[in-house]
Amino acid sequence: MSGHEPAIMPPGNYYLTGNEALAEGAIAAGCRFYAGYPITPSSEIMERMAARLDEIDGGVFMQMEDEIASICAVIGAVWAGARGMTATSGPGFSLMQEAIGYAAITETPLVIADIQRAGPGTGQATKVGGGDLMQAKWGSHGDYTPIAMCPWSVQEMYDLTIRAFNLAETWRVPVFVMGEEAVGHLKEGLTVDAPPAVINHREEKGATPFGHELPDGVPPMPAFGEGEKLLITGSTHDHRGFRKTDDPAVQAQLTGRINDKIMNHRDEIVDTEAHAVDDADIVVVACGFTARSVLYAIETLRTEGLKVGLLRLKTIWPFPDDIIRTVCGSGRKILVPEMNRGQMAGEVMKYAGGDVIPLNRTDGRIIHPHLIMETIRGIA
Amino acid sequence: MLEQIRLCGFGGQGVVLAGTLLGHAATSAGFRVAGANAYGAQARGGAAIAEVVIANAEIVFPHVITADLLVCYSQTGYDRFAAEVGGTHPRIFYDSLLVKPAPAGETVAQFGIPATDEALRQLGGKQAANIILLAAAVARTALIGRLHLATAIAEHGGARFRETNLKALDIGFRLGAAAAPEPGPA
Repeated sequence: MSGHEPAIMPPGNYYLTGNEALAEGAIAAGCRFYAGYPITPSSEIMERMAARLDEIDGGVFMQMEDEIASICAVIGAVWAGARGMTATSGPGFSLMQEAIGYAAITETPLVIADIQRAGPGTGQATKVGGGDLMQAKWGSHGDYTPIAMCPWSVQEMYDLTIRAFNLAETWRVPVFVMGEEAVGHLKEGLTVDAPPAVINHREEKGATPFGHELPDGVPPMPAFGEGEKLLITGSTHDHRGFRKTDDPAVQAQLTGRINDKIMNHRDEIVDTEAHAVDDADIVVVACGFTARSVLYAIETLRTEGLKVGLLRLKTIWPFPDDIIRTVCGSGRKILVPEMNRGQMAGEVMKYAGGDVIPLNRTDGRIIHPHLIMETIRGIA
Repeated sequence: MLEQIRLCGFGGQGVVLAGTLLGHAATSAGFRVAGANAYGAQARGGAAIAEVVIANAEIVFPHVITADLLVCYSQTGYDRFAAEVGGTHPRIFYDSLLVKPAPAGETVAQFGIPATDEALRQLGGKQAANIILLAAAVARTALIGRLHLATAIAEHGGARFRETNLKALDIGFRLGAAAAPEPGPA
């Protein structure tokens, strides 16, 4: 905490790993608290945060005894007024799930990076996987609606982490950055521009912190020590934070609001990118590293005259239902390659009018452009 | 311009470091760069592979698909990857003490560089052979300017080895400039 170094990387071009870029994005977004437990392939995030928070005035870094303690420490720090995050991989993400539900019901803005490896269980610690997508949506019990980003490059590990913090603060919700090992360990150019716009949660003196009747459904959020009376519980609570575990109306209103505040604003949250889909007979829906293989494949196949396009999901939760309906209409073939057994394909099937064809790989390797090209030629 | 470079050898030879320094050098020279490494869990002795893609436009797929340039620090690496070198200017640079090459093909230009020999002779140890071989390949292919590689070594190499590595850079550039491709089969 010497405070002599500039907090944000100066503008310029850097060559670093996705994990390092993610940590720098967090710093640029104002993150000043990190608690974590190291796990491959995410550990470089923790290493970088340990070094960087030590240089920054007010920066606090804590190595915890496990991932449960890590996320609980972050929740506490956020309620004390800090902007906080943790990072992990599948096994640690599993341990965090109970507290993710706690963060959802207490509307605690925080960011978790899950750098995905091949699972389940301990699986292949050093190998790539993409099997945590459903866990990000459904990992904790009960109904809640988190936001999840899928970066495909080192640049996006930086940019989407900044956006993750801003979304967390805007909507008072846990936000996940679902990088894969192949992006976390990829080294690539990162261009840092002027400091990004940083959004803070709304503050309003005397407002109740859990149920303000604002149209967006996001209540103002005080912090401990600011003079407000604060009661925070993971049990069902009213607008003041008082436990109301017997009251059906309060339960219905609370669960309704914490889901609706995201679902009613998904147009502002969802981010997708379409490449060459307008005239496409085959649309490939992909996210993360796999989408780069797809883009290479479709650019090559276009030169052979095949009408193929890519719809890339930069956010996977909330799921872009309307965009899938529009882009994946009937008459089109929809290929969904992913490094799991079909987690996203199932979701695409809910909304696509066209035939959905999954392409799955779960051997700890990336899906190579050659495999995608071969598959597309086979279904064209 | 899209150069796909693969460096291969054993863990402990500095293969990953050589790839990282090349990536930093190409970044400071203004190129788009992507790099990926593969190595075993053991600190020494397992296969070590570093890939670097250098381009003057956005890099869509960040891994090597077909290497144009192979920089080879071990026989195992040579045996595994030499046949896969392709593209419009396929070239192989190998450490002539550690690799017994196959006869040069008709299309692939092949250069033996006495990197380990010269490191032992001029630097008193083999540690900086990784820099000598990398520098020779960079010099012979005119991939990036020497100043950028020197800056990368100074800023991103270990401080303890900085002086030795900069000497290795000089040695490598001299060897690379003088290197002639081996004759292909008659």
